[in-house]
Amino acid sequence: MFKKTPIAAVAAASLLLIAGGCTATNAGKTEAAKPAPVAAAAAPVAAPAAAPAVKVDYTKMSAKDLAEYLIFESDSYDLKQPTQEGTTGRARLEQDLIQKTCSLMKGQELSDKDREKVMAAAAASIKYPEGGIKLGDWKNGRELAWSGFGFRTAHNPDDHTGRQAGGNCYNCHQLATDRTGGDIGPSLTGYGKNRGTSPDMLKYTYDVIYNAHAYFACTNMHRNGAMGVLNQNQIADVMAYLFDPASPVNK
Amino acid sequence: MMKANLLALPLALAAAGVAYASSGMLPEDALNVQIKKAKDPSYLTQSPQNIMMMPDNPAWIVAEAGEKLFKEARGPKNASLEKCDFGKGPGVLEGAHAELPRYFADTGKVMDLDTRLVHCMKTLQGFTNDDPAIKQKHGSKSDIMKLQTYIGSKSSGYAWNPPMNHPLEKAMRDAGEVMFYRRSATMDFNCATCHTQTGKRIRASVLPNVYEPTEWTKAISWPAQRTSHDEVRSSQHRALECLWQMRYPNIKNGSDASIAMISFWTDAARGEPAIVPDLKR
Repeated sequence: MFKKTPIAAVAAASLLLIAGGCTATNAGKTEAAKPAPVAAAAAPVAAPAAAPAVKVDYTKMSAKDLAEYLIFESDSYDLKQPTQEGTTGRARLEQDLIQKTCSLMKGQELSDKDREKVMAAAAASIKYPEGGIKLGDWKNGRELAWSGFGFRTAHNPDDHTGRQAGGNCYNCHQLATDRTGGDIGPSLTGYGKNRGTSPDMLKYTYDVIYNAHAYFACTNMHRNGAMGVLNQNQIADVMAYLFDPASPVNK
Repeated sequence: MMKANLLALPLALAAAGVAYASSGMLPEDALNVQIKKAKDPSYLTQSPQNIMMMPDNPAWIVAEAGEKLFKEARGPKNASLEKCDFGKGPGVLEGAHAELPRYFADTGKVMDLDTRLVHCMKTLQGFTNDDPAIKQKHGSKSDIMKLQTYIGSKSSGYAWNPPMNHPLEKAMRDAGEVMFYRRSATMDFNCATCHTQTGKRIRASVLPNVYEPTEWTKAISWPAQRTSHDEVRSSQHRALECLWQMRYPNIKNGSDASIAMISFWTDAARGEPAIVPDLKR
């Protein structure tokens, strides 16, 4: 990215950048430190139409712009990599409103306005089963809660054809104590026993599994329903694992 | 014998718990200093077996193979790597890895150990990207990992001190910081999801906290033997694997995004001793 660039290519790059209205306004490293648009435009350019990859000056970008550039323009990721949901690596790296708003740097606080925005977007994303929220099969829920399989791509893509993607619950939560869970999220041991199964409690739990940002803006928890990690039947199974008196979670 | 050499180096430093080490320490001694210094050492001490095994770390065998490769005339140009400049002058390895990534004027790029090594194998030895010597990036049997482990071991006990004098070094570090907090992909992960609290666990694994340099140095101390893989792994491999778990697409070895991330995470361990080769779960 920082290779010395022949002047002609630099000028061509400047032109490209100007034409494209790119935020990266500098081409080359030292030679093109001051690419006055007029001078660049006036330069007698004899570069081929298909100029080599645009050389930009990383030091002239904001950290945020450079991060975006590195992710999408620097050939750092396999942006064409197929995903299990039929999109590409690029789509995985593009941020939606919640991801963008919740990328808070150290010491950065979520504003009240953004909190409301995130919670509203999350609430709007939740779709409910036609027959109402019901509990499914706690045994399958147990497997889904345990499984960290699914949606990984990179050097070792998960094949969803032979195996359902899991909910990754145990990564961060302790559930039934026969298996070791993480503690980034709160312990959910005895979940149903301690809370009961009122319609409000079922709805709240369904919402949190589906898109927890509806209650906890910018939570670390992933959005099982909204991102298609778990379908409605699978969420019902995980809920059975949480609420069913027979589930090891409540033993 | 590199271990004997390292042993001769001031162990008094370890005993005194001096933070800014300017000379070597065995990895197990460097780790012990950190354990004593840490407010909450749960990340550092989570595997007593690994701590016990560190003097007999299988990575030392890989490092020894790397020393041989480093000094051997190889490649189309039939040259050794002894003139390779890792930032402290041609052939100077002591403490060099602790000051990477850094800007190199000859390439105009910020480079980490991996990319700088590949650069030297190309320029000094004449290898190309298609040669197995360069193509094979991972595993204890690869030339790249043998060489990295040897070169890295020469920085054990040296304080991480990646230079920030060149604007490009600062730019890459700062972009890496943004990427550390940037949430995306299926599970909305950023690096901060797992690495901003001390003593927290993913399942049974205690996670390192980027805000605690005392423990963070171990997290970024690569190359390291990973007992769960039975292979020595690099910083580049750590990035690859984390991002895989985060459901990101494949990051390319030596890519600018990888260097930015490694620049940020190394800067976060500034002043703490490198523990190389480390032994991790």
